[in-house]
Amino acid sequence: MSTETQLFEASVDALEPIRDFVTEKSIAAGADNKKNYMLCLAIDEIATNIMRYGYPRAGISDGVINVSITTGNGSLTVVLEDSAMPFNPLEQSVPTEEDMSKPLEERPIGGLGIMLAKQSVDEYKYEFIGNKNRNIFIINI
Amino acid sequence: MSFSITSEVTDGIAKLTLAGSLDSSSASQMQAEIQKVAEQAPTELVLYTKELSFMSSAGLRMLVFAKQKLGTAVQIYIVEPQAQIVDTLQMTGIIHSVHVVDTYPA
Repeated sequence: MSTETQLFEASVDALEPIRDFVTEKSIAAGADNKKNYMLCLAIDEIATNIMRYGYPRAGISDGVINVSITTGNGSLTVVLEDSAMPFNPLEQSVPTEEDMSKPLEERPIGGLGIMLAKQSVDEYKYEFIGNKNRNIFIINI
Repeated sequence: MSFSITSEVTDGIAKLTLAGSLDSSSASQMQAEIQKVAEQAPTELVLYTKELSFMSSAGLRMLVFAKQKLGTAVQIYIVEPQAQIVDTLQMTGIIHSVHVVDTYPA
């Protein structure tokens, strides 16, 4: 098992550098392009929530997101750690089947990102430990 | 890859060409282009996405925004999207509200 960690500013300008970091490690670990893309999508959705809502609602303007990537034993685990308000994405409502079949202009747009995050990786978990949110994404390689 | 977008309206058809990554940091650029073409009241919106390498839910929200801004009668065509972008459209059901095509006009 090996773990690498990088710290990013909690700004949407960091979304692309986070994707680059994840892509470099996941492709090196043997993920194919599709697995890597879906992993990046899941991370992007949760990181955006932290940047756009988590830190601003906590009144923190210089927040950071710690991204650690662990590979080994046939899987890759990405952990996003932040010090914003406790926020468990798994407790948020996501679009229902009925919402999904509505015309585009009538669809509720909330919850789409969280739905994508949950569906795009093999396992997605959330923990609040030591006053930190930990969003955990696991893909099998 | 950083995001870029260009637009034109010809004969009532708005054509947007997208490249790079469409996420929460770049979606405002697409919103601005949609607002720009909306002034000419197009009847169709065509998105050329062959070079679009990534699209998060921020991009999906731009599709919703386009429908709201341009009117529900305006059809949206997405030309040559990458497979993972089609997957995202399918996972969210949005694929039923747009036309995914290989070429435009067909």
